[in-house]
This record gives sequence, C-alpha cells and structure tokens, in this order.
Amino acid sequence: MTTLTETAPATPAKHKAAAGTALPPARGQSFLKLVTIELRKSLDTRSGRVLVAAILLIALAAMTWQITHLGEGTVGFDAFLSAGSVGTMLILPVIGVMAMTSEWTQRTALTTFTLSPRRVRVQLAKFVSAIALSAVVMTVVVAFGFVYTALTAALTDHATTYAGLGGQLAGAYLTMALNVVMGAAFGAVIAQTAVAILVFFIAPTAWSLAGPALFKDNANWLDVFSAFGRIAERNLNGMLPETLTAIGVWVVLPTVLGLWLSSRREVK
Amino acid sequence: MITVENLTKRYGSTTAVQDVSFTVQPGSITGFLGPNGAGKSTTLRMLTGLTPPSSGTATIAGKRYVELPNPGRVVGVMLDAAAQHAGRTGRETLALNASLLGVPKGRADEMLEAVGLSHAAKRRVGQYSLGMRQRLGIANALLGDPAVLILDEPANGMDPEGIRWMRGLLQDFASRGGTVILSSHLLGEVQATVDRLVVIGGGRIVANGSLDELLAGTGTLVRGLDPIGLNQALTAAGLSVEPGLDGSLRVDATAEQVGRAAAAAGQILLELRQSDGAGLEDLFFQLTATPAAA
Repeated sequence: MTTLTETAPATPAKHKAAAGTALPPARGQSFLKLVTIELRKSLDTRSGRVLVAAILLIALAAMTWQITHLGEGTVGFDAFLSAGSVGTMLILPVIGVMAMTSEWTQRTALTTFTLSPRRVRVQLAKFVSAIALSAVVMTVVVAFGFVYTALTAALTDHATTYAGLGGQLAGAYLTMALNVVMGAAFGAVIAQTAVAILVFFIAPTAWSLAGPALFKDNANWLDVFSAFGRIAERNLNGMLPETLTAIGVWVVLPTVLGLWLSSRREVK
Repeated sequence: MITVENLTKRYGSTTAVQDVSFTVQPGSITGFLGPNGAGKSTTLRMLTGLTPPSSGTATIAGKRYVELPNPGRVVGVMLDAAAQHAGRTGRETLALNASLLGVPKGRADEMLEAVGLSHAAKRRVGQYSLGMRQRLGIANALLGDPAVLILDEPANGMDPEGIRWMRGLLQDFASRGGTVILSSHLLGEVQATVDRLVVIGGGRIVANGSLDELLAGTGTLVRGLDPIGLNQALTAAGLSVEPGLDGSLRVDATAEQVGRAAAAAGQILLELRQSDGAGLEDLFFQLTATPAAA
C-alpha cells in the first residue's frame, strides 16, 4: 500500500469520461456476449487452464498407452477415440460443475449478478459456454485420435480403419454434451464445487449399483450411465423410453431445478 | 438519482426492512448508516436487484435495477470488495467487465491507473491487500462511467491515505453531478465525506436529512458556580434544562434568556455559549439505540 501513496491522489479525476476517452453508447448484453464472457471466465484462471491441460494430457497418455499395447489385427480409429474419451468424459463435466459453482465459492456472483441481473440468461450462457468449451476440448482429443491412428499406420505393421467414423464421432460429442450439461446442472443445484462434484460422481453410480438390487430390471429406467452408453453406441436396443426417462431425471430435471434455484439463491 | 419508496423485506415472520423511503439527489453524497443487522445491506441489495423486495419499489434514474439493460453503464456498485475471484489478475477482472459493459479495453487500464493500481495490474487478486481490493472494486464500479455509485463500506480496510483519496474521488464525482450513496461504520469518515444522512435502525428509517441539519446543535450550554442552584433557577424560569456530565447544563433557550434567568436568581456563570452539535457518533447511538440492544 505504501507505494500507492504518491500516485493515487495525483489522478483523482480520471475516471469520468469527460476527463478521458468518450465511451460508446450503452447497449444491452446480447446472449452471445454473455457466452463469450463465460468462456473467457473458464479459461482466465489457473484452475481453468490446468483442468483443460489435464484433460488433454490424460487423453494423450491413454492413447500413447493404447498405441504401445495394440492387440492383433486391424486397429480402428475408435480404439484411440475410446481410449482418449475415458478420462475426458470423467473430467469434462467438472468444467460444467465449476462454471456454475465458482461464482458462489469465489463470491463473484455478487458482481456477476449486479452487472447482469437477469440471472437465468447468465446461467443459460454458462451451460452453452461449458458445452462449447467441451466441444473444443473434445475436438482436440478427436484430432489426437486421428494423429495416433495415422501414427499406427506409419510406424507399425497394423492395418488401420476409420469404419463407422461418423457414428462414433456423433456418439462421442452427444455423450460429452450430455455429461457436461449434467455436470453443470449438478453445479447449479449444489453451489459448492467439492460437494457438487462428489454428488455428480457418486449419486448415479450408487443408483447403478443399488438400483438393480432393489428394483431388478426396472432400475434401467433411472440408470443414466447405461443410457449414456446406449447413446454413445448409437444403439438404444429398443430402450428409448428408459433412455429418455434416465436422461430426463438425471440431466433435464437437475438443469431446470438448478436454473430455478440459482435464480433465487441469496447472493452473499 | 435514487428513489426508494416504501421498501419492505420480510423473511418469514421477521421483517428485515420496513417501509423504507428516501431519495438520493444528483450532486450529493449520502451516507447510509445503521448498526449491524439494521437492514442496511438488505436495502442496498434490494436497490441493486439482488434481493426482491416483499413490497415497495427502488428505482435508479427512474428504472428498477433489473430493468436496466446494462446496469453497469448507469450505476457503479460495490457491495463487497472481498468478493472477487482470487485467481484472476486485477487487469483481467476489469477487462472481463469492460467487455460485458461494452466499453473499450483500454478503459480497464485507465481505471487501474485512476485508482493507483497500475503497478499491480498483472498480479492475481488473491495477493491483493483488502485496501487494494477496495481500490479494484472502486475501479470496477467506475468502469462504465456511471452517474450513480452505490458503495457498501468502501473505506473498509483502507489506510488513512487511501481514505482521504477515496473522499476526494467521491466528492469530485458528486461535484460533477454524480449521485452517491455509501454505507460505512467509520463515522468520522462519513462525517467528513457526506452531505446527507439516512440512518436506519431496526429496519426503519430513523433519520433522513442533511448532515448539518442533523448535527446542528440546539440550545445553549451553561455552566455555573452552583450547578444545582442554577438548574433550579432556570427551571423556575420555565426553561427546559438537561444536565450534562461535567456540571454543565444544556438549556433549550437562547443565551440571553439563560443569562437573564441566571442574573435574576443571582447565579454566577462560568460559561455561557451556543451548544455544540452532537458528534455523529452521539447522534448515531441516540438514533439507533433500541431497548433490546445489548
């Protein structure tokens, strides 16, 4: 603070536009602007950048392990994609969770919601931004997949195949988006990062373990992991109602509840 | 201009703020005072759209806060300087909001310089002292070149130099037609900064007026050789007398009336003058004291 003593009083009048540059006229905040701001917020802190770097490094490590442990026969692009997706699918939702919770744990909600009082819009922008960021990260992972498949063709005697590429990518992006929205929804419902992440990982797992024991086949209706699995494989096995119900309960319901709760939550 | 009309906030059966009305005019600094839990923060939060009121309205420049399309361009708000992301740099904190407010990027650096934080622009806010965070909060509030400032405890954690700087900044802002409302527990600082006072106690407005008006002394202070005799003489003359702690008496009358009454009774005076205004601290306790307050 002592270094400030000389400089501060010398410039008391610079804050008013009349004394400096004239500002452009005030305009409303477009939704795209809000999304851009939220994207920037997820990447302008060390924790945000570390998270993204970690996802990419884990994907690289998994693919490297895959390329050094190839089995017999033709190697498909999907082998690398699924190797890279395991960690990605695990950590990407955390981006969604943190987009929602960091406002409350870092108490920036106070500034965010005074500058943008229409909270639901801001929360929706966070969902969109989390999906966009995840799509970019996923695209890098997919690019890694192509590189490793090409490396396999170039460096080993394995034949490689890209059969079913479109479906694989569609499945991967769709599951990714659902996972991230589910993470963001849990973050919106539970405003504590650690608790939200714990519940996000434990609750559906607990159900997938306990459900079948309690409700036999009926547990399928609420097993979100199996639903994600069916979507990733683009094969619903005639279980469309079950899949939609599971997604509805674990993704749509928390999203709606989270939007409602965070628009009413007392900002401390 | 800020207009608060019959604002009430109930939480269940408790009423945090009851029927609060006041206005803050352009070109003035209004101090918003009250003990902890009196409803100060709740009122400021209703004013800034963070808490919906149970009834009543609060408007800024004629509009409810939540109706302002880009509030930061009309009103600068700092409710808690500590509520900033510890992982962002000072410049990034301002640059983000500059983008949201639609002001040029250079505005962030301009503001950092205006509050004396240029040297710390690239440091993370987590490393800032509370005084530096206050400065950053002020920079943030001024970012959109607003006409209105709403500041909760802006001097909190600032050193004497910082407090003096802030006073200059706010007075300068008001002198150019800005509207300022600030809350503070530093009563001496409030007294030196504000033009008007709104005092809240137990959720209600207990005083609202210009600082001079509220602090103006009333009556005459008199001290005599025989305080008890003097008191009796003045009371006998029909004057209202209030004994002070040091044997002085405060009389609700002019110096001449007191002098005549004393002379008539043959009382010897040691001191006779216009009563001092009560300090802001005395006024504060006088206004906000409640029987329940421990």
